[in-house]
Amino acid sequence: MPADILVQNLYYAYPPIREGDAAAAVLQGVNFEIARGDFVALLGRVGAGKTTLCMALNGLVPHATGGVFRGDVTVVGLNTKQHPVADLARHVGLVFQDPETQLVQMRVEDEVAFGPENLGAPPTEIEERVAWALAAVGLSDYRDRSPLLLSGGEKQRVAIAAMLAMRPQVLVLDEPTASLDPAGKAAVFRVLAELKRQHEITIFMATQDLERIARFADRVLVLHDGRIALDDAPGEVFRQVAKLQEWGLGAPQIAELGHVLTQRMGRRYEFADMADAFKQLRQRARKARMRKAQAPALEPPARRANPLAERVQIAVEHVSHTYGDSTVALRDVSLTLHPGDFVALLGPNGSGKTTLAKHLDGLLKPIEGRVMVEHRDTRKTRVAELARLVGYAFQNPDHQIFAATIQEEIAFAPRTQGLPPAIVAQRVAEALDRLRLVSYADKPPAALGFGQRRKVAVAAVIAGQPQALILDEPTGGLDWRSRQELMDAIAGFNILGRTVVLITHDMRLVAEYATRAIVLVAGQVIFDGSPRELFNRPETLAQAGLALPPVTRLSNRLSAEGMAASTLTIAEFAAAWHARAAAKGKRKTGKRSENHAR
Amino acid sequence: MRADFDLYVRRDSWLHRLDPRVKLAFVVEATLLLFLWPAIWMTLGIVLLCTFAMWRGHIPAAQIGRAWRIVAPLMIIVLVLTALFGGGPGAVWLRLGPLTVTASAVEQGVLFAARLLALALTLFLWLFTTDQASMVRGFVALRLPHEWGLTLALALRYLPVFAGLFEQVRDAQQARGLDLEQRGFWRRLRAYRPILIAMLIAALRNSEHLGWALEARALGTRGVKRSVFRPLRLRRTDVITLIVCGAVFAAGLVLRVL
Repeated sequence: MPADILVQNLYYAYPPIREGDAAAAVLQGVNFEIARGDFVALLGRVGAGKTTLCMALNGLVPHATGGVFRGDVTVVGLNTKQHPVADLARHVGLVFQDPETQLVQMRVEDEVAFGPENLGAPPTEIEERVAWALAAVGLSDYRDRSPLLLSGGEKQRVAIAAMLAMRPQVLVLDEPTASLDPAGKAAVFRVLAELKRQHEITIFMATQDLERIARFADRVLVLHDGRIALDDAPGEVFRQVAKLQEWGLGAPQIAELGHVLTQRMGRRYEFADMADAFKQLRQRARKARMRKAQAPALEPPARRANPLAERVQIAVEHVSHTYGDSTVALRDVSLTLHPGDFVALLGPNGSGKTTLAKHLDGLLKPIEGRVMVEHRDTRKTRVAELARLVGYAFQNPDHQIFAATIQEEIAFAPRTQGLPPAIVAQRVAEALDRLRLVSYADKPPAALGFGQRRKVAVAAVIAGQPQALILDEPTGGLDWRSRQELMDAIAGFNILGRTVVLITHDMRLVAEYATRAIVLVAGQVIFDGSPRELFNRPETLAQAGLALPPVTRLSNRLSAEGMAASTLTIAEFAAAWHARAAAKGKRKTGKRSENHAR
Repeated sequence: MRADFDLYVRRDSWLHRLDPRVKLAFVVEATLLLFLWPAIWMTLGIVLLCTFAMWRGHIPAAQIGRAWRIVAPLMIIVLVLTALFGGGPGAVWLRLGPLTVTASAVEQGVLFAARLLALALTLFLWLFTTDQASMVRGFVALRLPHEWGLTLALALRYLPVFAGLFEQVRDAQQARGLDLEQRGFWRRLRAYRPILIAMLIAALRNSEHLGWALEARALGTRGVKRSVFRPLRLRRTDVITLIVCGAVFAAGLVLRVL
């Protein structure tokens, strides 16, 4: 089979941001080859050069970016050095992370037709291409809609269709699902799998979505230190959990579970996927004679009892909110937040999560009902005053960052509070340390990658030392270690008796960190309780489009074998498994059910 | 992302279906008439005609009201300035130190303001009822370079995006304790500085990405004549409208010269 993508000895360095700075090489000798019709995932830390590599495949690097470029990139037989981006466009489609900057028309149909128009295709042929491309992404009925008004997942599918209409052989996608909700992510992956299967399109996708890579990709490339460090089938790559973690990358939860069990049990556990894990563990459970008859596994202790739970920090009383265009965003929402709560705010996109969060710090004022923050009515208190009590880190760090250096950025909040310089300096040092940004203190924000900028944005809010902290999807698009560092900093903030409200779609985060989950659907609170309670309610989860973390699903499936059901985290699962396996010594003979199970 | 900054109002009316070139011809014609014949009845006639056309084109009253609100400040400034400094003969209505407000100056001011309104409404009639793609097609069909049409269309396309961005950035900064509810013009203006800087950075980043996205969509392919998905063709209603417009213009011209 011919290779659609051939990258040989690729070395690339961006032009320096400030004059006189040395050019930092992002790619330092990248080599790989991709055959026609393969679905290849590119994995790497934030800032490892994944975007650069994606952009090199359609020639934007180096044609649009400048910099130092050595080596060769050949796509569908064309060397990118010799062909301008616009010419390569008919062979390689490139889909970016942010749909906002790649959709340029006011109607879906015109959007998809834009590329073929640029290629000079005759109108009848454009019509065919548009019809085909929209059908391929499942949006045939959307021709006359405005791309501005679609959901994130639909926007990305339009962006994919817009590329398909140019009939490229290769589709390159740079973290297309990083800012989507679970339904949107699933839809995009389904579309890509279909394109590969039906049309033999070669797919190259940079992503942090480990669970879906494991399911959909034929091959995984790991970009580390400017080189391809691993290049194999997903099962083989994710088997090397320790190495991946050392590099700051994670593995799918089931693979990680295997790694943890191996360490804990002193035996080798290695799982390719959920089905494999289930089969292996069931077999071992039966051997070890874990039966229902045995005492049920101990309920793991509830998370640290909250000593401040009696106090009321934020009270939301019968709040309703309607936007100018008469869409109802919140309907009669009532809840009480206590100091020290770690709340996960869940629900599909458009369910009112952000609207509710903006009520908590007075950015939005209730149309009906009232919100009390530390006994102050938000309608009668200035936003600037409320901001000292409630900090809010927005989803996009670039909406927030404006200072010349990271240090200045973090100093902004304490300074606006009129604190003396010594205390401001102390707060800045603390925040820098907490988020491991010390070495970047004097750098301009533009010199940092997206993940680092997000940390800066959170550090800047924490430095104001608010009583409560709201975070809107802080981990989207972050790699394993960045996510870990960010969440550790947030947990450290929470442990001081401060409230955290986390808007997220990531159920692993909910399981690992939250003490309370609130689920919104269509502007109404449909659930308010502990994550464990939520995980035991399949109807509620289905209604909100939420899926259980793989480990929880696995333990539920194994509960018939005597395993504790609904374990929240890997650690809990391992502890429960360890406890059950202790029964091994009392092995009896005569039970042959494992033979029948085959 | 808010859609209410979008000027185009999606409807299926005869006005929306009208060829964009015909609508553009109307804009040009009305503008010329307003300049050639600055009479109050002509101005009011165009205001009424535009309002009537918008109503027939199913443009909601709120949207028409928005058009009025956008021009209103400018109209008031023009009216006040002309009344104060226009001078001229006629009864003196008001004396403010060295300035006198005369009846003819006020009359002049009203006329200027009304012309402004008429011009704005004509333009809004076009913007409200012509989607971005037809606009570009119209320009290209008139032999203007595609880039010009695309640039205008992109500017209009990103108007709502930047308005939404401004809201986001303002909220994000306020949430960090930036006090925008300060008294005093200068202090408030200073308070907006971080917002403007963050906006500028985001806008630059956006436009860089947009440039990449356009290139990735094969804009500017060498040696290829760009084609058009839905080529414009004049239909009967278009031709009739064009003839009526032309006749009105010719009549106006003849009457004016006589």
